[in-house]
Amino acid sequence: MSEREVSRRRLLQGSATAAALAGVGSFFGPWHHNRAYAQSKPIKIGLTCDASGQYGNSGQDDLRGIRMAIAEANARGGVLGRKIEWITADTETTPATGTRIAERFVREEAAFLIGAVHSGVANAITQVAAKHGIIYLNTNSSAPSEAGENCSRVKFVWDGNGSNFSKAAVRNAVESIGKNWLLLTNDYVWGHSTSNATKALVEAAGGRIVDNLLVPQNTRDFTSYLLKVQQLKPDVVATAIGGDDIKALRTQVAQLKLDGKPAWINNQQDWPDIWGQPDTLFGVFGTTWYHKLALPGVPEFVAKWKAAADGGAIPVPGNVSYNGYMATRELLRAIERAGSTNNIKIIRQLEALRIPAEDRMQHFEAYMDPATHQLQQTIYLARRNVKPADPTDLYEILSWTRPQDVVDEAAAGKCKLVPHDQVPTVDA
Amino acid sequence: MFDLLPHIVNGLTLGLLFALIALGFMLIVGVMEQINLAHGSLFALGAYVAVVLLGPQPPLPPGLFEWWVGQGLGMRYALTLLIAPMIVGLVGAVVELALRRTYGKDPLYGLLLTFGVAMVIEEAIRSIWGTRDYSLPTPTTIAGGFIAGDLIWSTYRFYAAAVAAGVILLTWLFIEKTPYGAVIKAGAHDSEMVRALGFDLATLRTGVFVLGTMLAAFAGIIMAPIWGIRPHMGVDAVVPAFLVIVLGGVGSFWGAVVAGLMVGLVVGLTGAYASEWSLLSMYLLLVAVVTVRSRGLFGKKSILEA
Repeated sequence: MSEREVSRRRLLQGSATAAALAGVGSFFGPWHHNRAYAQSKPIKIGLTCDASGQYGNSGQDDLRGIRMAIAEANARGGVLGRKIEWITADTETTPATGTRIAERFVREEAAFLIGAVHSGVANAITQVAAKHGIIYLNTNSSAPSEAGENCSRVKFVWDGNGSNFSKAAVRNAVESIGKNWLLLTNDYVWGHSTSNATKALVEAAGGRIVDNLLVPQNTRDFTSYLLKVQQLKPDVVATAIGGDDIKALRTQVAQLKLDGKPAWINNQQDWPDIWGQPDTLFGVFGTTWYHKLALPGVPEFVAKWKAAADGGAIPVPGNVSYNGYMATRELLRAIERAGSTNNIKIIRQLEALRIPAEDRMQHFEAYMDPATHQLQQTIYLARRNVKPADPTDLYEILSWTRPQDVVDEAAAGKCKLVPHDQVPTVDA
Repeated sequence: MFDLLPHIVNGLTLGLLFALIALGFMLIVGVMEQINLAHGSLFALGAYVAVVLLGPQPPLPPGLFEWWVGQGLGMRYALTLLIAPMIVGLVGAVVELALRRTYGKDPLYGLLLTFGVAMVIEEAIRSIWGTRDYSLPTPTTIAGGFIAGDLIWSTYRFYAAAVAAGVILLTWLFIEKTPYGAVIKAGAHDSEMVRALGFDLATLRTGVFVLGTMLAAFAGIIMAPIWGIRPHMGVDAVVPAFLVIVLGGVGSFWGAVVAGLMVGLVVGLTGAYASEWSLLSMYLLLVAVVTVRSRGLFGKKSILEA
């Protein structure tokens, strides 16, 4: 028996001590870093995209858009004359894994973090990014809390959120469809904050919430919820159900033929959640972009994306890939405008960001709200296209709303950004 | 009570489906004392094979292809319910061949092997079919809904529950009332004696594993129109399957059926009246039962107590 052998008890004691020290370490700081990387190095970006779990499909679609923007920049000679390198790992739609991956990327000297669909994962990554002063682009998580109570000076949110979509849809629906609304809410931060926003808007428009059914994540059988919908007979069911859960819900609503009455308002529908099951696409839903928008530049972007995606699982870009692309492109442009990789200079550039409509392939100019760090952009409402021009033509776009008309007014009051000089400085 | 009735009916139909998912899992645990963590992946594979067979371009030789696509959807669906589990059953046979080396050793080896197989199958599904969702075409006679009371009910769900009940009954008859079933049961209790009596134990075990695999694949096809088809649907199946057999008592056939019904009822009722508890409720039920009865409802001494 070797004297160096570690006993089980010793191992457990050691693990407990290490865990305690790690906990203490993260609690007491360090809060301020001053880091400078060698200028000859490429600029490294950590892509925190889910490859498995509830948002695995969306995470990989997000990654396609991000990679495309990086490839375009590298083809032009990089940014500030430096090549962009990226690393990625599966954040597994799990906040704990998001934290672990983000910490790993920071250790590997990633100067920026990009990607998230699940708001819990996005929030976990934000904590790591804020601790180290790393700029983080939340590309596709649309919980209102991401630009509200969970906002950060280092984080920029690129998707429309639940409040934006609700504002675009609710008033009109209360007046034209009915006052009795039932909420179906995924039981996590995005679901709750989205349903809260919908509730406030419904009540402000003179409507009434008859019930709010909380749906645990990973629910696969919705029959009991749908029976409840039938029993309560609401005029409108507003869902805040995401990922694989909304796919299962849509399958079952279609199966029960409940897709006509009551009316369904489905907040945002991400393209990877739609693709493959168009027959179950029901109700009115929101989006930020569609590959058949009749706007200049859209066909060229779609062709470029198809060539870059090289026969992936989804044949055309949707809102998720679009958001990933646009966020990354704007970060790289902001670095160029700043003439530096200094995080504070880039943050100031992004806070002043305005993107002309034609450059974003949307109907209206988009702008970054400096108080919340959420991009304010055109919000589209859509429903299933009953006369598709081709198998990818799933949406009929019903309306497009100005960013100014769907601003989530509550977010600014909840978002407390630390002053610029309290952010740890990073220079890649 | 009238408000409650639809949720009880829903819970019972759901429970039969949970029992169907658990059936193959239970058979392999009960008879072979192997926890097959690949059960969920084989469940998913059944659904994917069915999608291929019912899709517009099934990979069949000329002649057979023309005959197959010339059949109505009802006929193709019925044949798929038989053929797809057989195809997946062949995969099960291969898994069992690999599993043989773990017999008589620490159960951890079998667990790790089947866990590895689960990951391989899931990744293979991603490679072959991608990450997109698929839906399974079903004949119009079992699709849609019907009105009873003032509620619309899903025809397919009742069909699925009836099929689940039928398969559960047939499996029980096979195990309890046929000579093969008697040998399988004897093999579970005393494999050396069965071997001494001249039965080929290796073939017996392969047969049980293949039967369990076919039941998993069959359950996957039945659940596909309800849950949708995606690569990690197996994880959604294996967790309740494991829970149902532990709750019912490892090795107990009717324990698994009763546990499946209980889980369905609890999930259905909490979904309607305390919705945020609906997923958690099945775990709470398990905790409540095993706290007072560690072997589950109808459990006998098993490998979990060895």
